[in-house]
Amino acid sequence: MKQKALYVFVLVALVLSACSGAASGQPVTVRIGWAGSPDTLNPGMAIVVEAYTIFELVYDSMYELNLDGSYTLSLAESVEASDDGIVWTYKIRDGITWHDGQPLTAEDVAWTYNLYKDTPEYPYLNGYYTPYFDTIEATDNNEVILTLTEAIPNIESQLIFLYILPKHVWEGVDKIEYENFEMIGSGPFKMAEYVQTEFVRLTANKEHFSSPPKVDEVVFQTFSNQDALVQAIKSGQLDMITEMPNTAAASLDADPNIELVVGAPLAPGVTDIIFNQMDPENCPTEEGGICSGHPALRDRDVRLAMSHATDKQMLIDVVLLGLGEPGLTLIPDGLGVWYNDSIEDFAFDVARANQILDDAGYADTNGDGVREMPDGSQALNFRLNWPSDSINAPRMAELLGEMWRQIGITLEPQAVDPDALTAQCCPAFDFDIMIWGWASDPDPSALLYVYTTDAIPYGSSETGYANPVYDDLYNQQQVTLDFDARKDIVWEMQRIVHEDVVYIIPFYDASVQAFRTDRFTGWITDQAKVELADVTSLTRIEPVK
Amino acid sequence: MNLTRAILRKAAWSVFTILFVIILNFFLFRVLPGDPARAGIRDPRLKKEAVEMLRVRFGLDKPVINCFESLNPITLGDCNVNPLDTQFFIYVRNLTQGELGISYHTNRPVADVLAERLWNTVLLIGAGQILSIIIGVALGVFAAWKARTYLDYGAVAASLVAWSLPTFWLGIILLFWGSSNGFPLAGKATPGMSSMPLLQQWGDIARHMFLPTLTYTIVYLGEYTLIMRSSLVDVLSEDYILTAKAKGLSAFQILKDHALKNAMLPLVTVIAINLGFTVAGAIQIEAVFSWPGLGSAIYEAVGRRDFPILQGAFLLIAIAVIIANFLADLTYHWLDPRVQVE
Repeated sequence: MKQKALYVFVLVALVLSACSGAASGQPVTVRIGWAGSPDTLNPGMAIVVEAYTIFELVYDSMYELNLDGSYTLSLAESVEASDDGIVWTYKIRDGITWHDGQPLTAEDVAWTYNLYKDTPEYPYLNGYYTPYFDTIEATDNNEVILTLTEAIPNIESQLIFLYILPKHVWEGVDKIEYENFEMIGSGPFKMAEYVQTEFVRLTANKEHFSSPPKVDEVVFQTFSNQDALVQAIKSGQLDMITEMPNTAAASLDADPNIELVVGAPLAPGVTDIIFNQMDPENCPTEEGGICSGHPALRDRDVRLAMSHATDKQMLIDVVLLGLGEPGLTLIPDGLGVWYNDSIEDFAFDVARANQILDDAGYADTNGDGVREMPDGSQALNFRLNWPSDSINAPRMAELLGEMWRQIGITLEPQAVDPDALTAQCCPAFDFDIMIWGWASDPDPSALLYVYTTDAIPYGSSETGYANPVYDDLYNQQQVTLDFDARKDIVWEMQRIVHEDVVYIIPFYDASVQAFRTDRFTGWITDQAKVELADVTSLTRIEPVK
Repeated sequence: MNLTRAILRKAAWSVFTILFVIILNFFLFRVLPGDPARAGIRDPRLKKEAVEMLRVRFGLDKPVINCFESLNPITLGDCNVNPLDTQFFIYVRNLTQGELGISYHTNRPVADVLAERLWNTVLLIGAGQILSIIIGVALGVFAAWKARTYLDYGAVAASLVAWSLPTFWLGIILLFWGSSNGFPLAGKATPGMSSMPLLQQWGDIARHMFLPTLTYTIVYLGEYTLIMRSSLVDVLSEDYILTAKAKGLSAFQILKDHALKNAMLPLVTVIAINLGFTVAGAIQIEAVFSWPGLGSAIYEAVGRRDFPILQGAFLLIAIAVIIANFLADLTYHWLDPRVQVE
């Protein structure tokens, strides 16, 4: 029996070795490893960022977001806006074809925009990007006329994610249930093969009008294990990885064939320490509000003291192993011009923090090392929660506990399942402090919204912060067409929320990506942001000769 | 003894158990806190209206069942609603029509997703089970036959070590070893292989299966070896074995005709239980080697509150376990007629 097993083993080994030989003349393939995978290829229904990466490569849209944060026209060769900013006329380029050979016309563009506008089931595209659309029409001379309900300052960022779909394919399908596995687009890459949660294989569209790729194929392979991801690029099974544990960065950097790129991510994300400031008197009870937050956190002095007692550089060094920048507000440095870098942060100064608390009347009356409320009712002992899938939060919680203990504040740390945390967070406001984060848009409006009073019953406000001055500014920047004027408002808004210590933003995590230099050259590494899975890099790289 | 009636009764119990699982499955996930329509999405671009649309689409806007609007937090509701307008009865009605629903996360029919994942899991865990049973049993027989020799001690020690190895740890070690020996580290197939000849495709899948299967085999064979050995040592001390020896039968004949069949009984139980859970996959192995199996599908679905996937997967596992147990009962009877099929 044992011999037989051995025999089978040898046979298997033989078969395996026979299959490993690579034939010559194979297409030049870029192999990218990532930890996620698209949820669906239907652009209307997709939510996760990996899906958008694929859309970015396979589809075109009206504008393209450059790595410096600016926008350029993509499908259109020119655009004209009416003086009041309501009517936008786009002239679509001639001679663009879909991957199946059909011509792409203004009719496709108008049809797609109408589809997004008229399908309320599309969570982002309809909910966030098309509310300002009034009518969209295609004219005979290959023009699309987009009429808005009101003038908006950020038409580019409103349109970049509205990928243009082929009318002849989409007309006859169920717009919601359609799985879109064939994915006929017009972008620099064509869908070749898709196995959900395993890989996406794209082939080059060498006829692309603006950025024909130099390689033949790109493969995105899903890894559920980040150590395997690192091992795979080390052993040469992958040419690039778009994420990794920070602990792996040093060893990859030491590898002569691997180049490491660190920078602000193209898709802005931010980590925040959330203070529940919801006043029980204004509790959104109809929306399920419980509002059990500790009263001390509604006092700016307490939040300010905690901010002074937070050593952000230490958090960056220990938690991120140095790969990050100290944070100010929810608007991260990755948002480029929108990021107010003129704000001076509250210095790390434990003595000053203690002084602030002393002056505000929070004294330790019973000598247990923990301060009490000025009326002596409650100790400054806060619940601290974070989503259990967070890698960084447990270490952060430990460090914050040590830092804040020095100013007489104690924590009850606990990880919570992310979905349960959502239920606890907002609009329930059933917590004291949370460590969490946001994903967002290249335009600052989305993240600025989180601070508004309007966002409280919606569940987007996690602090319960309400400031009429801020709300006014928010509405103003939504309709300020002049770029510089809008920028000034956005900067002022950041100053206000920083001054009010609505959050402590510990850091902006850097994106860390790695690629092999012995296989391809031409990766873009010198830009303000990094996005190796971005079209710009993938269309420029070429194999090493 | 009426065998047919006994089998029928067992079958009836199995069906009853499955019905119970169907009901339990529904409520099991709805007592979890959280809203599947938001599923922990942290993005200010997701507006309340959009969340509401998702809830309508998934039928989450309807009461869970008569008298209960939701189960976490428990909210009482109208008891006079039409039962067919509640989530529970819609779920039952869809099931009777063979409809498992649409996955909240992937926007695909649950049956499609589960079918892909089930096949991957059966492939991987099936191969691992067969290998570990064959090698484990062989090693167990060998150890029992050479009982209380150094060979036996060696085999027992090796099995104990293999059995107590943490799966993920062994997996990572093998993954590091495999990466420097040219074995693929993730997935089930090399992208682009689907256009190759069938034989080459199978070879590619086999290469991908090698490391995870090896991990699985090592971790499970220890259990089989130990059970087989101790059971066979017992049987070998019986009087009728002595008689067989006295008759002058060869060692091989004694094992094959007299000892093995009796010694197999406890092993059949373990194999049946393990085979049933084969369907559930081995989450740790699937996670280490990024194997797209059912185990990882369940793990992902829990985090996203993807109820339809969870309900479908749990139903599948329940059915598999019940069938495996049913078959084990029948095998007992065949192996040892003294066991009454009652």
